[in-house]
Amino acid sequence: MKARLWIGLLCIGVLVGLATTFRVYTAGFDVYAKTDILVWTMPLAAYIFLSLTSSGLAFCCSIPVIFNIKRYEIIEKRTVFLEISVLLGAFVCLILHLGSPLKVFYLILSPNLASPLWWLATLYGIYLLVLLMSFQKIHSGKTSKPLCATAFFIAIGTATVLGWLVGMTDARPTLNPNFLSVFFPLSAFACGLAAILVFSLLTAHFSGKQIPEERMAVYNDIAKLFGVMAGVTLLLTLWRTIVGVTSSSSLEFAAFRHMVKSVSFNIELWLGLVLPFVLMMIPSVRKSTAGKLTATVLFMVGMFAGRLEVILSGEIMPLGAMAEGRADFVNYLPTIWEVFVALFGISVVLLVYTLGDRYLQLDAVHE
Amino acid sequence: MPKYAMVIDLQRCVGCGACSIACRSENNVPEGVYWSHKITETVGTFPDVWFHYIPTLCNHCDNPPCVRGCPTRAMHKQENGITMHDTKKCIGCRYCQFNCPYGVIYFNWKKPHEYWRENQALLKGGTSSPAEEVREVGGKVVPYYNPERDETLAGIRPKGVVEKCTFCDHLVKKGELPRCVEACPADARIFGDLDNPKSQVSLLLGQFRPFRLKEQLGTEPKVYYIRNFNPAHHHSTKGEV
Repeated sequence: MKARLWIGLLCIGVLVGLATTFRVYTAGFDVYAKTDILVWTMPLAAYIFLSLTSSGLAFCCSIPVIFNIKRYEIIEKRTVFLEISVLLGAFVCLILHLGSPLKVFYLILSPNLASPLWWLATLYGIYLLVLLMSFQKIHSGKTSKPLCATAFFIAIGTATVLGWLVGMTDARPTLNPNFLSVFFPLSAFACGLAAILVFSLLTAHFSGKQIPEERMAVYNDIAKLFGVMAGVTLLLTLWRTIVGVTSSSSLEFAAFRHMVKSVSFNIELWLGLVLPFVLMMIPSVRKSTAGKLTATVLFMVGMFAGRLEVILSGEIMPLGAMAEGRADFVNYLPTIWEVFVALFGISVVLLVYTLGDRYLQLDAVHE
Repeated sequence: MPKYAMVIDLQRCVGCGACSIACRSENNVPEGVYWSHKITETVGTFPDVWFHYIPTLCNHCDNPPCVRGCPTRAMHKQENGITMHDTKKCIGCRYCQFNCPYGVIYFNWKKPHEYWRENQALLKGGTSSPAEEVREVGGKVVPYYNPERDETLAGIRPKGVVEKCTFCDHLVKKGELPRCVEACPADARIFGDLDNPKSQVSLLLGQFRPFRLKEQLGTEPKVYYIRNFNPAHHHSTKGEV
């Protein structure tokens, strides 16, 4: 009964998303809080959040394959399926960001190899294909080492190219490709670890099954690793903040200094990084299921806000002729339709995952 | 093959905006989109103030970030130096907008020229609706529609794609000057071939000390500004303590 209610709720989420899609493509993109200043907003932030989480899951999945730590094999199937679910949700958000998504075949007909966006689209296409093949193999009870290793290297590619894409813009020196190409994969890894814990623990809780000791030991390891990665993400964010706040260069840091006062930045820093890190440093909290869940859910909320903060900090200062008649900084508040896009993506992730969990025996381990 | 550039003489420019109006008519530019625009700045404290006015348009950079970033080569360089956009290939990712340091690329968030699509008359039975007016004069979406624009680019760019100045490539192709240049009553805009040492643009760039917007970025803009206008003068002074 509970499962049906849950699936029903997710279906409503998807239906709201489809209605949003209809609205966006009939009424126009001005249903978003976008202007020619804020060209990338919440739908793209949701895409970045989900796609990086998927890359992070690929890093986790590679632990038994690349680093040969065999006991992590018990989470491999669930992780690969979660990667697919999260990636599908990311694609949903991306489609609703694009003005003319039906023309994406020009990525093949008229490729621009100098464009990070072309590389990103290509890598994600291959990534999804590799993941599907990898899952199919695991599902048939076999190991998928070459495919899993390929997914790992592509995930490094996608997370770093995303840093190149957002950072390599001559127009917006606030966004630094050297920083983002390091920050994105590392925070993605933390997101991937958090996602495994959230999904695995909640699935076990709602199914009413006792988590076997061997599996719980792996989750405890992941929680430790998550604590470390949350700390690394916090450290990088702190340095970005220290440099941004103390630098005298307004060209590079004025927009970031403005963002430091924003809701999204403070959610990211305090709720999403400091609090989870502190929680994970306390052994008793780290070992408890509630502690793990609190820290990882907070981290994921913080990272969602963080992805939004990163792209907004590149945009809020109007450039060139666009600054004409405008304030030094523009403010952003998402419209209900943008929130629906993010909910659509998340609903797709949850629905695909729930169906997979129900019908595909995600706890199975290959030979 | 020529390499086109534009020189804007700030001393001749009176800021009348004729360039922008001519551009809108020539290129069927919708509301909220400015292929030809301006940067203004007021400096000083009353009564000692001055107003600066810089006309802007796409800089047709030699090293354009918008072209480098476009994943489908919708934004591309022509051999004559014009940065051109192909509406058909544009997927509406807006990476060119994100990449352009000059803020001269616009996105069609909704159906362009919405006003002229309305079927409701201001006074029912008294006035015609905007859509009726368009039909009456045989226009396409807008009554003042210029069909010539269709020759090299979609006459009206659809919802979901970007658009920007093309140096009126459809006119240049026929040996005519861009419409903003033609329309300028003060001859403040001078267009020509940079590769021809005898062209007016080459002569002016040799004669004056030009500047370009955000030169430090290395984008190599092809819109040059000369003769920054300032009629103010001051008496010889060494200041005070």
